[in-house]
Amino acid sequence: MATSLLPVSGQALDAQSLVAKIQKLCPAAQLRPDCDRPAVKVPLAHWPVLAQQLFASADLLFDLLETHTAIDWVQTGQIELVYVLTSLQCGHHLTVFVDVARDNPVAPSLCAVWPIAQWQEREVFDLFGVHYTDHPDLRRLFLDDDWQGFPLRKDYADDFMLERPS
Amino acid sequence: MGLVTDNLPGALLPLPGGGALLTAIDQVVNWSRANSLWPLTFGTSCCAIEVMMATGAARHDLARFGAEVARPSPRQADLLIIAGTIVKKMAPRLRTLWEQMAEPRYVIATGSCAISGGPFLYHSYTTIRGADEVIPVDVYVPGCPPRPEALLYGLLTLQKMIREGTTLARPGEVRKPVLAALPDGMTLHQVRAEIAELVQETATVDRAAAATVGASYASASRV
Repeated sequence: MATSLLPVSGQALDAQSLVAKIQKLCPAAQLRPDCDRPAVKVPLAHWPVLAQQLFASADLLFDLLETHTAIDWVQTGQIELVYVLTSLQCGHHLTVFVDVARDNPVAPSLCAVWPIAQWQEREVFDLFGVHYTDHPDLRRLFLDDDWQGFPLRKDYADDFMLERPS
Repeated sequence: MGLVTDNLPGALLPLPGGGALLTAIDQVVNWSRANSLWPLTFGTSCCAIEVMMATGAARHDLARFGAEVARPSPRQADLLIIAGTIVKKMAPRLRTLWEQMAEPRYVIATGSCAISGGPFLYHSYTTIRGADEVIPVDVYVPGCPPRPEALLYGLLTLQKMIREGTTLARPGEVRKPVLAALPDGMTLHQVRAEIAELVQETATVDRAAAATVGASYASASRV
């Protein structure tokens, strides 16, 4: 486990007991074995409740949302939201994957749990077009306000882009 | 005589207690402009660290050429060093900064991104394909990133352009020193062909020669 910058007050859990505890909180959570850090896949409906529990639960204490991004899977029609969590107090890490439908990408905002999610969700909205309900200020972040489309989607194209001549 | 007076354009006549300088106003003006370029450091990505900041720091020491007074304000600067990728959102800001600079103003574009868009030329939704789509550029310094020496060479090239460029007699005329320095009868096309030949030659590995070099190193290390 990585060392913490803050004085470690909690107990760092190993991957197995971490995933076991999460599955106890949310039985629908599935282990993602193909990741190098502990990772779980959570259904969208269970995610807001589980997020609050991950933050508040006394032996998990995930107090830092390190990053939030998304993956566009064109073939399966899903946008996979990725949340990388760290507990500075315990020193353990967790990655959470949540699927949303590509043609109706709506997810709950986690600003109430981790305030930094405001910025990260704005970025994902800007580039992938995921709409977060209850987000206080869901505007474009990097692109111009009048930009059309979401450029990190795999099927994005506009007149400005150049194709490599073959 | 000191270093400064050695490089003065014109004839210096030493006299007791001082001297007289016989020169043209144009030459003195251009000489002083070329030797006190104040750069506006416009760093948007990695080139800013690898080239611009490294060139200003102690090892490469931009101060040797009079260009160390980096200004964060365009109104106090006369040289715009573009170091990094220009994206659609940044392009109007770059244009604004350039328009705020007082005349005469000069622009150096360093690195592939500022020259052509570089690695983001194809399939990019936001990268401008070269800073010269936004503002006129005087000197291009290629590389990804260029070495600090390359920026120094670019700066010296710009100084040469300034010294040979606009004067009262030739207002607005900018002379490219690279073309001006070509020998008689030589065309740019010939120079390009020669460079391509040299590059081809140095890019080809002579395996036999490489083996002997390796062997000599091996024997040297045994001794």
